[in-house]
Amino acid sequence: MVRSIVLALGLVLVAHSASAQMGSLTVVTSFSKDVTDPIRRAFEKSAPGVTLEVQNRNTNAGVKYLEETRANNQVDLFWASAPDAFEVLKAKKLLALYKPKARGIAEKVGSYPVNDKDGFYSGFAASGYGIMWNDRYVKAKKLPTPKEWQDLAQAPYYDHVSISAPSRSGTTHLTIETILQGEGWDKGWRIIKEISGNLHQVTDRSFGVPEAVNSGQVGYGIVIDFFAFSSQGSGFPVKFVYPSVTTLVPANVGIVANAPNRMFAEAFIEFLLSPAGQELLLTPTIRRLPVRPATYEKAPPDYPNPFKDKNLQGLLTFNAELSEKRSEAVDVLFDQLITFQLAPLKAVTKTLHDVEAALAKKDNAQARALAKEARDLVAAMPVTDAQAAAPELRAAFTGGKQKSARQAELEQQWAAFAKEKYAAAQAKADEALKLVR
Amino acid sequence: MTGTMSKAVAIDIRGVNLSYGATPVLKNVDLSIQPGEFFAFLGPSGCGKTTLLRLIAGFAQAQTGQVLLDGQDVAALPPWKRDVGMVFQSYALWPHMTVAKNVAFGLEERRLPRREIERRVRDALDLVGLSAFADRRPAQLSGGQQQRVAVARTIAIEPKVLLLDEPLSNLDAKMRVSVRRELRTLQRRLGLTTIFVTHDQEEANTICDRMAVMESGIIRQVGTPMELYERPGNLFVAGFLGSANILDGRVAGDVFEVAGGARLPLPEHVKVPLGAKLVFRPQHARLADSGMLRGPIVHREFLGSTVRYGVRLGGAEVLIDAPFQSGDDLRAAGDLVCVALPPERALYLAA
Amino acid sequence: MSDRAAPAPSVRFADTFPSRAPRGGRIPVSGQAVLALAIALFLLVFLVVPVATVAYVAFTEKGTGAPTLVNFLDFARTDLFVRSFWNSLYVSAMTVVWASVLALPLAYLTTRFEFRGAALVQTLGFLPLIMPPFVGAVAMQLLFGRNGTVNLLLEEWFDFKIGLMEGLNGVIFLQAIHYFPFILVNLSAALRNIDRAMEEAAQNLGSHGFRLFRRIALPLAMPGYVAGASLVFVKVFDDVASPLLLNVKEMLAPQAYLRITSIGIDDPMGYVISVVLIVLAVVTMWGSAQVLKGKDYATAQRGGGGLARRRLTRGQSVMAYGVVLLVLALVLAPHLGLVLLSLATVWSFSPLPDDYTLAHYARVLGDSSIYIKNTLLYAGLAAAIDVAIGGAIAYLVLRTRLPGRQMLDWMAGAALAVPGVVLGIGYLRAFYGVTLPGGVPLATLWIMIVLAIAIRRLPYALRAAYAALQQISIALEEAAENLGATKARTVRRVVIPLMTGGLLAGFVTSFATAAVELSAVLMLVQNNSDAPLSYGLYVLMQTPAGRGAGAALGVVAVIIVAVCMGLSQLAADRSQRARGLDI
Repeated sequence: MVRSIVLALGLVLVAHSASAQMGSLTVVTSFSKDVTDPIRRAFEKSAPGVTLEVQNRNTNAGVKYLEETRANNQVDLFWASAPDAFEVLKAKKLLALYKPKARGIAEKVGSYPVNDKDGFYSGFAASGYGIMWNDRYVKAKKLPTPKEWQDLAQAPYYDHVSISAPSRSGTTHLTIETILQGEGWDKGWRIIKEISGNLHQVTDRSFGVPEAVNSGQVGYGIVIDFFAFSSQGSGFPVKFVYPSVTTLVPANVGIVANAPNRMFAEAFIEFLLSPAGQELLLTPTIRRLPVRPATYEKAPPDYPNPFKDKNLQGLLTFNAELSEKRSEAVDVLFDQLITFQLAPLKAVTKTLHDVEAALAKKDNAQARALAKEARDLVAAMPVTDAQAAAPELRAAFTGGKQKSARQAELEQQWAAFAKEKYAAAQAKADEALKLVR
Repeated sequence: MTGTMSKAVAIDIRGVNLSYGATPVLKNVDLSIQPGEFFAFLGPSGCGKTTLLRLIAGFAQAQTGQVLLDGQDVAALPPWKRDVGMVFQSYALWPHMTVAKNVAFGLEERRLPRREIERRVRDALDLVGLSAFADRRPAQLSGGQQQRVAVARTIAIEPKVLLLDEPLSNLDAKMRVSVRRELRTLQRRLGLTTIFVTHDQEEANTICDRMAVMESGIIRQVGTPMELYERPGNLFVAGFLGSANILDGRVAGDVFEVAGGARLPLPEHVKVPLGAKLVFRPQHARLADSGMLRGPIVHREFLGSTVRYGVRLGGAEVLIDAPFQSGDDLRAAGDLVCVALPPERALYLAA
Repeated sequence: MSDRAAPAPSVRFADTFPSRAPRGGRIPVSGQAVLALAIALFLLVFLVVPVATVAYVAFTEKGTGAPTLVNFLDFARTDLFVRSFWNSLYVSAMTVVWASVLALPLAYLTTRFEFRGAALVQTLGFLPLIMPPFVGAVAMQLLFGRNGTVNLLLEEWFDFKIGLMEGLNGVIFLQAIHYFPFILVNLSAALRNIDRAMEEAAQNLGSHGFRLFRRIALPLAMPGYVAGASLVFVKVFDDVASPLLLNVKEMLAPQAYLRITSIGIDDPMGYVISVVLIVLAVVTMWGSAQVLKGKDYATAQRGGGGLARRRLTRGQSVMAYGVVLLVLALVLAPHLGLVLLSLATVWSFSPLPDDYTLAHYARVLGDSSIYIKNTLLYAGLAAAIDVAIGGAIAYLVLRTRLPGRQMLDWMAGAALAVPGVVLGIGYLRAFYGVTLPGGVPLATLWIMIVLAIAIRRLPYALRAAYAALQQISIALEEAAENLGATKARTVRRVVIPLMTGGLLAGFVTSFATAAVELSAVLMLVQNNSDAPLSYGLYVLMQTPAGRGAGAALGVVAVIIVAVCMGLSQLAADRSQRARGLDI
């Protein structure tokens, strides 16, 4: 038996290694099979003899993988949505310089430059953030349809909303960062916490949110647009809206430093940006916004066009540098103040909704004041805008030398802060509710 | 299996001490077993008899002492190099092999030619009368048949000695009598030095040439069954083999004073060891009307050829067997009687 | 014959140990030692070193890398971790309780009574263990979620809902269904080996019904039960997938997973938690071994009979089938949901799918056959490795006195608690720098996936091997040695044939669970053509259009694994019967 196993093993090893042929290209991507498969097929057709090997990893795992394997890199391309992941890779010198030769590509999409200013990665499609909802769910429960982020903070949405943790999802991180940049640090967090009070769950995968909305487990989800578009493309009864505070961010592709097949990698980027490559983005299961304005002529009638549509003009200019500086802080704040304190946050939010409903029937100045105090307590932040972006704080997360505290200590401090504030807010809110009952 | 086998070997056990952790199991055991002898280890459970057997087979290791087979120390040999055939109490027949395969096993391990193996398997099964069952599985045999397979499997390898670990304990009473006769006959034919472990004195008496009576890891006495019965060396052997009456007492000059006051004269040549007690067999005393040992009959059992009376003497109770012939008057419970014991029948034994 | 016993010089072994069972090891001590060393080396290279390359971070200061224990202090001082720890403990304990409730009637009825379809029940009862990741979760949500089939119907008819899938209770519900087969399998095996006379004696003395079960059958089967229950406890404690799919993050294993995968590979806290998990698993296993000490009720296999089953009266039959069907309906519901999902066009906020189609199967069979092929190859190889190593460790531990043999057992057992991500990252760290001639990194070979899966599933095969070996009366081995077979020959001719059934059970468990292994695999898959099924599922389940296809692939996976299980079971039964063993 042992002999036959060894024999079988040997045979299989040989068979597998024989499959490497004239040219192959390895890409690490966070994009799903629905996106990569049509593009891979078209690319392989356009470059006969070249095989595209797709390694599917989520953005964070992909970055980590490149870090862990840099000593003996076998990957040619990194291909993902979140620009900040590319910023991280760039900072760690894991990307190679390449300026695409393709013409007819827009300089900016929304107000975001399509390509990295230093030339380490290139945008090939744009995506925006927004709200998707399950139409059947909303109709069955007679719920409203949202237009702006703040809408999700209203009472009817209580326990119907889902989001993925920004620490787990590059796209959610950008959504949160967009709100913070659009509304300012304090107001931004206030809105985020008010929305979070209505959350049913915080998922740990980006796709967990559209999945829950598609199945009707929750009504609304905060997602990147293509999740909603491709769900519609697959027949799910879902809708999507871009709030006015959003940003269009390019999805990118970059050549990995020391790529073993640099030539093919360049060919792949050029293919993505070619008219044929851009057109592929319109496929129902992909539904990304092309960065070549001419391609929109071939798009279906209701397809969003960032170069023409009014609501997608003059959007916020996303500050990638600021985002990069405080990215760990924002993630950890969200986790410690919201994800792991969801129960008390939801409880106080519910009470405040009740107070609001009672006040609408019969006003009471004292209760109103208490409710405001409670809201302020909920909105309180343990760190300021400046502190969050300060290098000392960052050092706690990255293990730098001048750190103010260890990450675990900071986390415990922030968690304790949130717990205390939410408890105090709950007391005020309860008091207010007593007054109006 | 023609009987012209290698000559029978002697087994010598010298100064063996064996303990499991802090628990001593064999204490200073010395024993010589003659070539071709049918020897029994007899004793109550826990006396160490099976451990002694396993020591010979190589399944237990002594801390000190030697085991000599045919004059050679085998302590360093693993079980599979000892050529010591053992029949296990549970028979340990392999359920995944046929009877023939079981019997062939040891021969195959010895890498004998196939023809030779087949012949010897056939011979061994013939010898135990199971040729017709060669292709059966052990599970398809009766207990007695399984036992015979176990024996056949062991003797097929023509071992130097044969060890039998309570081989009859899993058989019913009738089977036991016939199987032990078969074993005895077989042993005679093969002329194998054989050790038989049992806790049943009748089995030991009927089957063996000599035996060792063991208690708590110590060999208390070695001898032929008759010697041990007639002349037990100590109270344990006397009590373990057959029925014995034991009375406390002490030596006072030329008499033995039994607890309770009765005095028995000591024959001149008798030396009474220190702390000895008076021991006699029920059939060696008789009931009399007068005598030193006096007491009431407390019970009576009719056994056919004899009548067994229980008589209370002081604090102890003794048994007396009286031969019965039709017409005899029987004594009744409550009758006051005297026990007459010929002095030469009295044994004075220490513990 | 007498000419062959020339005594060979040999190593003499100090001989002071009490027990009779673990003896021997005199002549072939070198052979055993070589085997033990080889296994130790294997475990060292593929388990200890990779884990150590990652876990040492727990003992260093972030950034400077200076050795410190402050991280463990931080663990104890962080409310979240402490809360997670207690939550995990609670969930694990309650899961054991509920899994026992599900497993007891199935095990008892199918082993101690004449129960038609007992084999089918046993097979179906194993299926919950083979739940493909991700799709399984979606199917469960669609059935039991807050707007799943059950709740939508309840709301429509009775205007209330039950939070089956909410919070810690949801985790307990899911885990009890998922892991109850461990208790079922172990308990059934133990119950099957109880001599009928044990029950008859009790009946003769006036015991019957539930008291008979509680006072005789259950205590006798306790070793099997404790083995299963401790496995469930540890698995639930270390499981990442089920809590996360319910979005329960305040448990220890999910905390470790989340930290390692999101905060970063240099953050010590994730590894601190991993160390805590490993320690807890080892302690649990050690504790269950202590409980079982001296309770080895193995009976020597001798003759037939003694294992006859009792009859059920008509009324009892009706009740028994009722209970069994109810339990099966509950534990197989996820698979039913999976089948529905694989056939659904759109299933959203409705009790049943809108419409049905076979298109998903067409798509999956078209482009996922490579995943299926890889899965069979990987899981098969991994399970074979597990059985070989598990059997060897069991033999070394139970039948020899090699010093340090217990270490092998602990090492292999600790594998149970190593989070898959930790192992995956460890493999990358330990083996990526090692290159084969030609510059290919060792870590990129698909055989590394096999080894990682084998390590993760080794504890299952090990347990099965222990159980199998304990069932073999040592006299059967002594008889072989007595007749001239060396230790090695005895193993080959007596031990292995008699262990076949048990080893096969270990193979099946390892194989079936390896086939749906995900966490370590995700880290190690290098390219699509080397990817196993679970990776294919992961990829499909990241897109709306992939949901049905993912479910179809999941169904295919379950069917393939179940067919393989059934075939090996059949082969085992046949060979056991041919060998005249009771089954």
